Amino acid sequence: MRKYQNMVFTTSARLVKNDAQAEDISQDVFIKAYEHFEMLSSSPAAGGWLKTVATNLSLNHLQRYRNRWRFFSELGGRDDAEGEDSPAVEFAAPDTFFEGVDADERRAWVDEALAKLPDHQRVPLVLYHFEDIPYDQIASRLGVSLAKVKTDILRARAALAKILSRGGESLAPLSH
Amino acid sequence: MSTNDPEKLEASIHRLLRSIPDRRAPASLEARVLGELSRRAALPWWRKSYAYWPSAVRATFFVGSALAAALIVSGLFVLARTTGATALAGGVAERFSWLVLAREIAASASDRLRTLIGAIPTLWLYGTAGAIAICYATLAAIGAAAYRTLTFVRQNP
Repeated sequence: MRKYQNMVFTTSARLVKNDAQAEDISQDVFIKAYEHFEMLSSSPAAGGWLKTVATNLSLNHLQRYRNRWRFFSELGGRDDAEGEDSPAVEFAAPDTFFEGVDADERRAWVDEALAKLPDHQRVPLVLYHFEDIPYDQIASRLGVSLAKVKTDILRARAALAKILSRGGESLAPLSH
Repeated sequence: MSTNDPEKLEASIHRLLRSIPDRRAPASLEARVLGELSRRAALPWWRKSYAYWPSAVRATFFVGSALAAALIVSGLFVLARTTGATALAGGVAERFSWLVLAREIAASASDRLRTLIGAIPTLWLYGTAGAIAICYATLAAIGAAAYRTLTFVRQNP
């Protein structure tokens, strides 16, 4: 459990954006793992199994508790979407912002930036870049169209780069 | 290096996100999982799901259920063939005779309602449907505005 607890917790926390809920989900993941202990104990794919279960339970959690709000939150303006529908802006490549910055500090910046994205952008972005799930499977899992998934991820990247570029500017003196 | 090329941005974001280490899980997680597993292990078998029952108990339960089902079916079959069954059916029918009356009342009310709706001008029906739709849309808009306002206040106190 110690070997995988950080990975399971991180997977869940990035999706649900709430540490307490992520801890509850992580607990459920490890209890499920215990129920399948015989199968997992000798399997080299145990890490992948745990990650998949953590992802699925997190998505179930999001869908169960946020479905009722989706209609209201997506109706009307989209002022919560950072950088959405904004004209194309040239960003510095985000992976160059943090050159020479401590990994934990870099993670804190990225997690903070991810948390600023609205759910409909953050969740597909996390599934695509962290979980390596292809667009069509994300669309199927989230119950939205393929075009929406692609657009949301595209906008999420732009918004993330914009947020990070602000952070990168303030980090510049630290990294040089 | 700067980019506004979506492909370069995708590659750059991907490199960045994959380079960050996992977060440290809360120290309480392991204790919570072990505590929950201990709690579940301490439960007696009859409070767990069927899959966790001992094999002998599962087999006994299965055989017992099958025997009980067979006994009930054969009992009903035997009962239906006795002379008392007709009297029993008559008694039951008498107890539920009010259902016939209820069905007649419902049919009569349905006929009257259909006649009444037929007498209303079509324009009135469309107008009522339109008014209901407007009320529903207004309620939804007020709800959305209230939700967004409250969310904004909560996020920007």
